[in-house]
Amino acid sequence: MMNDGPRQMTRPFTVALLGNPNCGKSSVFNQLTGLRQKVGNFPGVTVDKKLGKTTLPDETEVRIVDFPGTYSLYPTSLDERIVVQSLSNPSDENYPDAAVYIADVTRLEKHLLLLTQLRDLGIPVILALNMADVADKEGVQADPFALSRELEVPVVKLSGRTGFGMETLKRELQLLREGLDAGKRPPLFYKPGATEQPVAEAVQQIVPGTGYYQALVIAHHHSWLPFLSEAQRKSIGEAVERHHFTSLRSQVDETMQRYDKFTPMVKQAIRSARKEGPPATEKLDALLTHPFAGPLIFLALMLAVFQAIYSWAAYPMDLIEVFFSFAGSLVQDNLPAGWFSALLTDGVLAGLGGILVFIPQIAILFFLISLLEEVGYMARAAYMFDRLMQFFGLNGRSIVALISGGACAIPAIMSTRTIGNWRERLITILVTPLISCSARIPVYTVLIGFVVPPKTVAGFFNIQGLAFMGLYLLGIAAALLSALVFKWILKTRESSYLMLELPEYRPPVMRNVLLTVWEKVRSFIWEAGRIIMAISIVLWVLASYGPPAGMAEARQQARQQAQEQQLDEVATENLIAARSIEASFAGHIGKFIEPAIRPLGFDWKIGIALVTSFAAREVFVGTMATIYSIGSADDEYSVRDRMAQERDPLTGRPVYSLAVSLSLLIFYVFAMQCMSTLAVVRRETKSWKWPLVQFAFMSGLAYLGSLLTYQLLA
Amino acid sequence: MVVLTAGGKQLSKAKRGAAGVVSHYSSEQAGSKLMAMGVLPGSEVVVVRKAPFGGGWYVKVDNFYLALREEEAASIVLQ
Repeated sequence: MMNDGPRQMTRPFTVALLGNPNCGKSSVFNQLTGLRQKVGNFPGVTVDKKLGKTTLPDETEVRIVDFPGTYSLYPTSLDERIVVQSLSNPSDENYPDAAVYIADVTRLEKHLLLLTQLRDLGIPVILALNMADVADKEGVQADPFALSRELEVPVVKLSGRTGFGMETLKRELQLLREGLDAGKRPPLFYKPGATEQPVAEAVQQIVPGTGYYQALVIAHHHSWLPFLSEAQRKSIGEAVERHHFTSLRSQVDETMQRYDKFTPMVKQAIRSARKEGPPATEKLDALLTHPFAGPLIFLALMLAVFQAIYSWAAYPMDLIEVFFSFAGSLVQDNLPAGWFSALLTDGVLAGLGGILVFIPQIAILFFLISLLEEVGYMARAAYMFDRLMQFFGLNGRSIVALISGGACAIPAIMSTRTIGNWRERLITILVTPLISCSARIPVYTVLIGFVVPPKTVAGFFNIQGLAFMGLYLLGIAAALLSALVFKWILKTRESSYLMLELPEYRPPVMRNVLLTVWEKVRSFIWEAGRIIMAISIVLWVLASYGPPAGMAEARQQARQQAQEQQLDEVATENLIAARSIEASFAGHIGKFIEPAIRPLGFDWKIGIALVTSFAAREVFVGTMATIYSIGSADDEYSVRDRMAQERDPLTGRPVYSLAVSLSLLIFYVFAMQCMSTLAVVRRETKSWKWPLVQFAFMSGLAYLGSLLTYQLLA
Repeated sequence: MVVLTAGGKQLSKAKRGAAGVVSHYSSEQAGSKLMAMGVLPGSEVVVVRKAPFGGGWYVKVDNFYLALREEEAASIVLQ
């Protein structure tokens, strides 16, 4: 029988994966859990928590929590704070029963600080010497027995890349789990000094049941640790003051003492026969981070990424569209006409199609981005552009978010968590949605057709393609300029850091890349998909129903007109649909806002599309299709043809003139028309203030931009 | 490799290709973070490259690489 600890009663045995950034932790996580993983959130914040399961040799299933990469228990970013918060509080839901500490064996003398801190917290820990395969190649020899003896923790050699050593690790975990109740803890690695001791003792009194080192960690972070009560916080603050405890000085002393102690241990256990001469990474970086060639290579790479997205995604997207129009007609043919079949085709299927059609683009973007991340290139981009980003109030790390914003602002905003400085992170979050995301593509495609003729210049450049690029550049310029404005408005005294480790270039582990893609696609379908789906159904209701008397009258009139003009069955249906939408709730909303958007050159029909687009931009094309009654044909080109025929009832001139089309394009470049993004911003900033600020400034920008465009051109 | 002889020099004053040994830090806050990452008193630092746009520093510390801002480089004092 298993020797289950008391925690076993309430939840599965939980193992934390911890380690420095770039130690190869996620490879080990993927090796242990495979597809048995999911992403959750740490309580109160939205730092991704990767959860998985693995099975020990004795068939017991244990839960694995992958914590963000951390250097020490003295955090400088949100990611790192989570680690401290979870590990310093044994009643935290993520407090582990045991930990596996992953260290890069080729840099072991830099990677053990956090391990010794974990040990002192009283968490049973196994040291995993990762990158055993690289160590072999580089002639680094490690003696796990010597390390285990000196550090007083079990040590295993493994490789997240090849899978070597995973069984040994699981066996060690099982041994650790079985022996847990023996309760033998090694003495503290770190010996606190005369100022630390009374403070630690005081905290042990104030927060009952805390260990000695744990109490000290709480003393360091008492100002923000969320599990302390206000009274506890106050008492600890007083104790800290009474004993003249200065956190920063104490941190430095502790860190020095730990390094001084484990450095000789590592020297004894590791034998390195490194080759002379600069390693491959340095040679590669001579080109890739070259002051002039580096940024150019970066731009070329990004261009290639976007080319790939457009050219590769086109085929699967067409397939998805064909599939959904086929499914739609299947439903229409097989179900009796009525509200249910209409809801299914125009609400549910249209919504589902609208979500799934973006998957090829999202998958390709994340495939390429995580490939670049995995080989170690993204840190170089952050390094090269940090100065430029700083000028705009951003951080070098913001470049990752801004690029990902080209696919979808939602994952892009979530990637800002590695930015430690709150102001830099907030500005990145606020301006990222101005980067043209993939949802704007269908809108741009339809409208550019009105503005720019499909001609080729210089025998090579398609002008429509150039116009496309122009819109993207406009978005980028707007993002950077708004960032500059926010930099002036928002003030902070918090210090900002780059201090970024540039990992050695390594061939990518495809398994990691594909798991990232799978995870992102799944969370897009689930997180954003639910909202888009719900909104499509609401939209369908708004567009299908209206004040009953008005709706009936509109239908009646349409039928009469169809008879007078002797229209065929299909044209009659379309005319009825068009008149109904005018009389529907959506039509009333469109007419209600018409006075406000008239100065931009928009009529009530465009108004409806604007309203529905506030749910998600890509809804524009579908709404246009409904309004102009071309049935459920979700085809950009038929929508465009129909829009081109649209005439102003008073002047008889085309509605979609150059001025109106351009004005509408400008509106879509700037406007915040994505509820899912606002929801994510709310989650990330933990208040409604910032999504509202973002909504207001982007809508203002869109309105002014369109107003200016239309008034100048009309 | 050029070894700096002048003591108490900030890393940010070093030229490309210069090497030195970390003595201490001029800011405790930056120092604490640098130490956690493995930049310790006694570590050998080499200035590998400076970034475009008059920006960051690409340095090699013992056996790993680090990107630093100018003020972060200034907080490292060499022996």
